Amino acid sequence: MSQRFRLPSGGHVDRSQRLGFSFDGRRYEGHAGDTLASALLANGVRLVGRSFKYHRPRGIFSAGIEEPNALVELRDGARREPNTRATVAELFDGLSATSQNHRGSLGFDWMAVNGLLAPFIGAGFYYKTFMWPAAFWERVYEPMIRKAAGLGRASGLPDPDHYEAAHAHCDVLVVGAGAAGLAAARAAGAAGARVILAEQDFLLGGDLLNEAEHDAWRSETIAALEAMPEVTVMPRTMVFGAYDQGVLGAIERVADHLPEPPPHTPRQRYWTIRATAVVLATGAHERLIAFPGNDRPGVMLAGAARTYARRYGVRAGETAALFATHDAAYDAAFALAEAGTRIAAIIDPRTDSAAMQRAREAGLAVRAGSVVNGTVGGKALRGVEIGTVGSASRGDAVPADLLMISGGWNPAVHLASMSGAALRWDDALLAFVPEEREESAWQRSAGACRGVHGFGAAAADGAAAGRAAAVAAGFDAADIPLPDAPSADHRPYALWEVKGGGKAFVDIQDDVTADDIRLAHREGFSHIEHAKRYTTHAMGTDQGKVGGLVGAAVLAEARGEPVASVGLPRFRPYTAPIAWGAMAGGEVGRHFQPVRRTALHGVHDELGAVWMDAGIWKRPAYYPKAGDTDGWASVKREARAVRERVGVCDVSTLGKIVVEGPDAATFLDRVYANTFSTLAVGRARYGLMLREDGIVFDDGTTTRLGPDRFFVTTTTAQAGPVMQHLEFHLASAWPDLDVSLASVTDQWAAMSIAGPKARDVVAAVVHGLDVSSEAFPFMAVADCKVAGVPARLFRISFSGELAYEIATPAGYATHVWQAVMEAGVPYGIEPYGVEALGLLRIEKGHVAGSEINGQTTALDLGLGRMLKKKGEFIGRVLAQRPGLTDQSRPHLVGLRSVDPARQIRAGSHLLVDGQDCGWISSATQSVVDPGWIGLGLLRDGEARIGSRIIAANPLMGEEVPVTVTSPHGYDAENLRVRT
Amino acid sequence: MSAPEPIHALAFAPRGSLGAAPAAPLRVSFPARDIVQVMLRRGQDAAFAEAMRGAFGMEPPAPGHTATGQDATAIWIQPGQWLLTAPRGVEGALAARATAAFTGFAAVADQSHGRTTILLSGAAAREALSRGCRLDLHPRAFGPGRAASTPIAQIGCLLHQTDATPSFELTVFSTLAEPFLHWLIEATAPLGVDIA
Repeated sequence: MSQRFRLPSGGHVDRSQRLGFSFDGRRYEGHAGDTLASALLANGVRLVGRSFKYHRPRGIFSAGIEEPNALVELRDGARREPNTRATVAELFDGLSATSQNHRGSLGFDWMAVNGLLAPFIGAGFYYKTFMWPAAFWERVYEPMIRKAAGLGRASGLPDPDHYEAAHAHCDVLVVGAGAAGLAAARAAGAAGARVILAEQDFLLGGDLLNEAEHDAWRSETIAALEAMPEVTVMPRTMVFGAYDQGVLGAIERVADHLPEPPPHTPRQRYWTIRATAVVLATGAHERLIAFPGNDRPGVMLAGAARTYARRYGVRAGETAALFATHDAAYDAAFALAEAGTRIAAIIDPRTDSAAMQRAREAGLAVRAGSVVNGTVGGKALRGVEIGTVGSASRGDAVPADLLMISGGWNPAVHLASMSGAALRWDDALLAFVPEEREESAWQRSAGACRGVHGFGAAAADGAAAGRAAAVAAGFDAADIPLPDAPSADHRPYALWEVKGGGKAFVDIQDDVTADDIRLAHREGFSHIEHAKRYTTHAMGTDQGKVGGLVGAAVLAEARGEPVASVGLPRFRPYTAPIAWGAMAGGEVGRHFQPVRRTALHGVHDELGAVWMDAGIWKRPAYYPKAGDTDGWASVKREARAVRERVGVCDVSTLGKIVVEGPDAATFLDRVYANTFSTLAVGRARYGLMLREDGIVFDDGTTTRLGPDRFFVTTTTAQAGPVMQHLEFHLASAWPDLDVSLASVTDQWAAMSIAGPKARDVVAAVVHGLDVSSEAFPFMAVADCKVAGVPARLFRISFSGELAYEIATPAGYATHVWQAVMEAGVPYGIEPYGVEALGLLRIEKGHVAGSEINGQTTALDLGLGRMLKKKGEFIGRVLAQRPGLTDQSRPHLVGLRSVDPARQIRAGSHLLVDGQDCGWISSATQSVVDPGWIGLGLLRDGEARIGSRIIAANPLMGEEVPVTVTSPHGYDAENLRVRT
Repeated sequence: MSAPEPIHALAFAPRGSLGAAPAAPLRVSFPARDIVQVMLRRGQDAAFAEAMRGAFGMEPPAPGHTATGQDATAIWIQPGQWLLTAPRGVEGALAARATAAFTGFAAVADQSHGRTTILLSGAAAREALSRGCRLDLHPRAFGPGRAASTPIAQIGCLLHQTDATPSFELTVFSTLAEPFLHWLIEATAPLGVDIA
């Protein structure tokens, strides 16, 4: 069986190129220019899938993106993609496709038994049936339904391809390259505008591809567009959504027509297009007619059968019937007759028309005043039952293996509607078209998507729209050559449904029948949006493109209202399915978010640091050494080095802001809860910032570098928010203050040198500065040189030990670190990571992000005395709210596990006599007094110091007795830092 | 002891030809720059402009623009703020020169280590940038002497066009230079790129 339905000539396939492909394991051949669907039809394959709910046999229904039936799994292995529409899958050599949604073979599907149960599983069946018992839903019903339902299988493997995001800008975006779109793009291009012409098909031309006599205009127009340097033609690019202010989204299928993407080529590209003006030339989708058995393989949209014959040179059947309600559809019968298909009958509910006359003259059998009220056959159509309009009786049967149907055309108004156009009911076309709006001159529809059919008329409409769009974008209008072609009459007779026995589908993909829509109405789901959700009508991959309006018409009849007042469900992106990978674009794996590294990253790497994430920063958690039994051993070893000798830690991630200007001190007094105007030059002070609502925002040390120049540090996590906070208040609250802010976080690398031997190490590397305690006391700051490079020395401490911070321009960080490490050798210096840093500060009782968590006040944290008594500052007023000053609020305490071996964990709740009275915010192991310790927030915390309570962690099944202590258990007099 | 040279933030970045191999690949390099952030004092516009002319031989550029003087380039970054850049010289010298010139008219913060500049040049540079940059860089909308700050690959980037090749200088926070370069390599490799 080698392409026995292929015509010897004609169309846009290259018969000299033979492409091998497989479907359900069988091998076939097609040609370059085929889709999978046209190649299957050329080989006589009619049964291509099973329906969603009833598992009814289904065939190819359309020739485009609206396909409801022919959904296949394309490719194998990790590249397997389910629910690919065979009608848009471009054929390539070696393509492999599998039908989906059946158990057993496609020909014999066990799940087809659902069809026999159909009377019991109509709309809302799941909602009504699987309600009881409730516990069954999760364990029994849902897995069962999930197994039975669904379309296709995901590969379950990582996607081997990559995807790209890209941005484009233009004066005029034209969506769709049929007659209207080509003309619009050319007219706008001729005017000098930057134009993007996006076409979802791999060939430009739309319906022109079915008209050999107009191919000259198509080719000439494409050549003219390609010669325009400011026109970008993008085939295989589907515009899927229209958003605010001329932003549209599109997917370019860069390599889907190849077995796999070539090197350095993404599979798909996700375009964000910003256009000054937009012409929508998206065409129209032919609609079905609901009649019993309208889903049988062999029933096909008339325009699709015509496309297969004219564009692909494929006869979709041996003996065909046409069931149509308007003249334009007759061209399908003529096209098939030309292709050698026998036309068994033309069934038309109308009494007479021009096309009917022509058909009779051509010798075709026309059955006027007739309808199809049934189909004969199983897995393939064998015959068509013909009745009389308005009569319930079944008529005679005509043998046919192809039934072409057309109930009219639905303008593809999706993008117009998304971009805000109202839809207007057109009584002649029996369809919704975009309302023309003067105020939205930037966006217009042209051609069939606003009901203007026929090449000549559509091209003229497109040219006018392209000209107007160019003018809207600031260019002068230009004229272009247009084709001369008569328009067929697209005005249909109003026939939505032929009532009779058997299922008449309004949504073939979701197995929604006309009866389901009426059931929804009877049960109160009469609004189109409710009916949609109750029945799943128009919710499949085709989004109701072929039957959506038919369902609305059935609902309208049930409600006794015109279709115009029932309307359509809201259009939303995406107009057709797109791959998840394309939405993720390149932001996967290591590109998911940027990784921020300090200037000392390489140094930590060489030391074998175990990394931890701090926001987007990578910081060393600890540095394992031979002999460390586990991570805790490393952390405690590092902390002990600081307590007993000296350690060095990279603190470059802290936020650093230079605040400068005549009003800098005033500004800081307002943004900090404590005072900075009294700070001496060359001194640092710990500062506390509140939010407007009185909750603690951030803390850090701030240094006065000069009378009008301060150096503010923030926590790592809040560096960005603090900068925004400062900028916001300067710009909005106090524009009178002359202050400038510069973020210098990246300019300066910083390392903390802490421990009883810190001064010895610092003295060895610092030049030009007396670092004795008398000359350089606690909280002193000075510029100096370290190991020959510029640096700034701070005497500040977070660990509770004698400590210094050396800041140096980032490019010198490695040099300074190495000098410090070398100078520290005689003193047993060790680098310490964030875990040891945390251990040391918990021992010392310093709060950090776990305590400054957006819920705590200065009073809660024992920092109430920092709030200045005089002068305004951000947060002062709201911090005085009764709820925030309530003495019984949880207060910062220290905690110690009664049994030193029993772990306590951050997040555990603190129980006093069984009552939940607070939580553990931070926990660690002490190196000063071995055992588990922590900080927590505890109601009446100060009063409970010395008492024994329970730290409960129900997730871990733990209840650990703990003793409440002062948070400042280690060197409460701060003697060590001042030594 | 002589002062060591600072280590560039991209000192360990890959070098050489990457990706496709067209006749004219894109060129990427990491010019060493001194960079100083200059922040205008309230009401000192005229005095500052005068100082800029005197010390650097140029007018402070208007929003969205750059200006080039005798030995430095100024890039507008936000209202009343510019980056002053020059080829790498003596540590702190550009900042000291700017401070001397602008005291009383503008604050100065040395950012030579805090910002890293990547130069991207070649006919396909716009196409490569479109993979992450939302701005319209078409010659009708942008051009040499224009500058803008914009997020690219989730990283804030100061972008300015230096010539019509086109060439763009991309200036980012130094601690984010490496992931930014990773993005740039992804964006340029399909078009072919030489990293110097």
